Amino acid sequence: MNTTKFKIAALLVVVMTIGFSFTTINKVTVKGSDTMVILSQKWAEVYMKKNPGASIQVTGGGSGVGLAALINGSTDIANSSRPIKASEIEKLKARYNSMGVEIPCAKDGLSVYLNKANPVTTLTLKQIGQIFAGKITNWNEVGGPDANIKLYGRESSSGTFGFFKDNVVKTDFSPSCQTLPGTAAIVNAVKKDKFSIGYGGAAYAEGVKDCAVKKDDKSPGILPTAATIKNHTYPISRYLYMYLKSKPTGEAKAFIDWILSSEGQALIAEVGYYPLK
Amino acid sequence: MKKVIVALMLSIFGIVNAQEVENDSIKPIAISIDSLQQSINEHQLKFDALNEQLSPLQEQVDKMSKLRISGYMQVQFDMFNYQDVPTSSGPLQLRPGTSETNVPLTTNPVDVNNSFLIRRARIKFTYQPIEGVTFVLQPNFTFSAVTLKDAYVQLNDRWTNTYQLWVGQFNRPDYEVEFSSRERIFMERSRMSIILYPQERDLGAKVVADFMTQYEIPLKIDVAAFNGNFGEGPISNQIADVDSEKDIVVRATYSLQFPKAGLGIDFGGNGYYGKNTVFADGTYSDVNSQPFDAKIGDKLKKQWYGAELQVYYDILGGIALKSEFHRGIISGTAGSAIINNNPSFNFSGEREFLGYYVALEKNFGTKFQGGIRYDSFDPNVKLSGNGVAVANDLEVHTWGFAFHYFFTTNTKIGLGYTMPINETSSTIGGIYNNDIRNNTATLRFQVNF
Repeated sequence: MNTTKFKIAALLVVVMTIGFSFTTINKVTVKGSDTMVILSQKWAEVYMKKNPGASIQVTGGGSGVGLAALINGSTDIANSSRPIKASEIEKLKARYNSMGVEIPCAKDGLSVYLNKANPVTTLTLKQIGQIFAGKITNWNEVGGPDANIKLYGRESSSGTFGFFKDNVVKTDFSPSCQTLPGTAAIVNAVKKDKFSIGYGGAAYAEGVKDCAVKKDDKSPGILPTAATIKNHTYPISRYLYMYLKSKPTGEAKAFIDWILSSEGQALIAEVGYYPLK
Repeated sequence: MKKVIVALMLSIFGIVNAQEVENDSIKPIAISIDSLQQSINEHQLKFDALNEQLSPLQEQVDKMSKLRISGYMQVQFDMFNYQDVPTSSGPLQLRPGTSETNVPLTTNPVDVNNSFLIRRARIKFTYQPIEGVTFVLQPNFTFSAVTLKDAYVQLNDRWTNTYQLWVGQFNRPDYEVEFSSRERIFMERSRMSIILYPQERDLGAKVVADFMTQYEIPLKIDVAAFNGNFGEGPISNQIADVDSEKDIVVRATYSLQFPKAGLGIDFGGNGYYGKNTVFADGTYSDVNSQPFDAKIGDKLKKQWYGAELQVYYDILGGIALKSEFHRGIISGTAGSAIINNNPSFNFSGEREFLGYYVALEKNFGTKFQGGIRYDSFDPNVKLSGNGVAVANDLEVHTWGFAFHYFFTTNTKIGLGYTMPINETSSTIGGIYNNDIRNNTATLRFQVNF
């Protein structure tokens, strides 16, 4: 067949489409961590007021959902309350030939919530892990009353779930752990149930008490406070991240630069998290 | 005058009427605690009823979420000079009734230079009943048959989070083989991979050690044992092994990441150690092209080693340089009736081969990606040029070009062009005096979910 015309047409299509691919738009979509939704919406709201031409669209769904959306191309920025997994990086490599860009944007501490009536005040990291793994099932095993432990946790698409599993539980959660949609629901459940235990962002612990956490038997119990989370002495501290497919450009870059500026970082405390510096 | 008086009367009546405002006495609504309590109780009952309805639904959703269904379909239009099909006389099948042929066509005596094709139609079922246990089943649909591509169980070690055991039918450990067509930019895998790993999959078991999760060491080691005949020979013989020999495959990869520079380098090595059993007495050819007699039950070498490199760099979107190299000995018996015949190496004997590819891939934003690949496969490194006496020993270099447009996040349209350039030999003569005109242009539509 005569492929000359085909080749020329194909070459023209390629050149034109590459040209179009570098056009920038002012709309930025942000999707992912439920932990970060309020913070992210606050950032977007203030940024759009300052930059009337910009459009920042923020939705939740969980860290895993946000990263999946980043991989399939349906969001510009993925919010995640856990570090990206190696398997997710592999998917980015396969689809975009890049490893993604990780931007830590805030700090958070994961609180272990206890009912205020519960006499237990301090637990080691190992004990907390064993409780959520179902290996410790009664409060009397950790110095409390003779009562079964009721577990509340997040659903598996949540970055909070992933972070807590990888850093504290280190194995499968107990099948008796009741999953609830969102940290507020966990706080609410622990508030009502004297012998329950839950976990979530330190900013949410209203009406419940924070459990002091010990790294090991010999360490002192540390409560999640602004100071202990900032200086990483509280054992269950984490960064909150934004992930992109590749180096940000255009409006996304301007938005991220502003988030990392002193102005953007100043908003973090209002939502209950902690700035990077 | 009467009219004026009537008009005045009417307007006065209207004004007076408009001012007659009904004196609404504001009756404060007495909200008693009892009625509030009653309302709360009613709502509580509704919530309890909703909870009762939701609980079994949640249970059903939890069960369903353990099963993931994904898949993809590729349909394409190919334009070519002739169909490049391996034959017992050589790897090429040319246009019938023209000077471009030295192989008589038995299947289709009429020239075909374009065709619609369903390249892939696959649905993948992944069932994870509990964390760390995965079952995978993936059939492939073609217009004439349904074949099984993947069917394996994967068990993760719960104690160290490092090891995985795979048992069943799955991809052989190799970068290009394991890289799904769904993501690949180029229309087909390199000639080297197609010849060394027919059908990509094999039946066997594999242990994977991934030191990233537990130790944060980006090292991954695969050790697999396979039947070694799958994808070769008649399909009826692909459901079990044809001999007691097992092929051992080892692959190790290491990843370096330099996030600040936007750079990632993955590299690794692999080895394949296996044997081919002879199933037809006859005269075979050794690596030096010397004839020897082989009998049923004799073993031929099938072993090679290889290296791989993938470099990723973030510059105006992602760019990647990918390369693989293999060298070793491949063997086989010609004839499609032979139970372990490899259709991509349709030759009786052993050959020392060398194969490699170098590919450059670039993404442009989220909608476009393109690539250029050069691949080479020399089935007989001992001979070259006019020293080559049979078409099967000719080296082939292939240029591949591809460009894709993502119509939606899960639909892409691809243009591809493949240019194989064969070694020439006047000893073989005929069409092999020149480069054969066997380029292929492909327009491909892919949908995945």
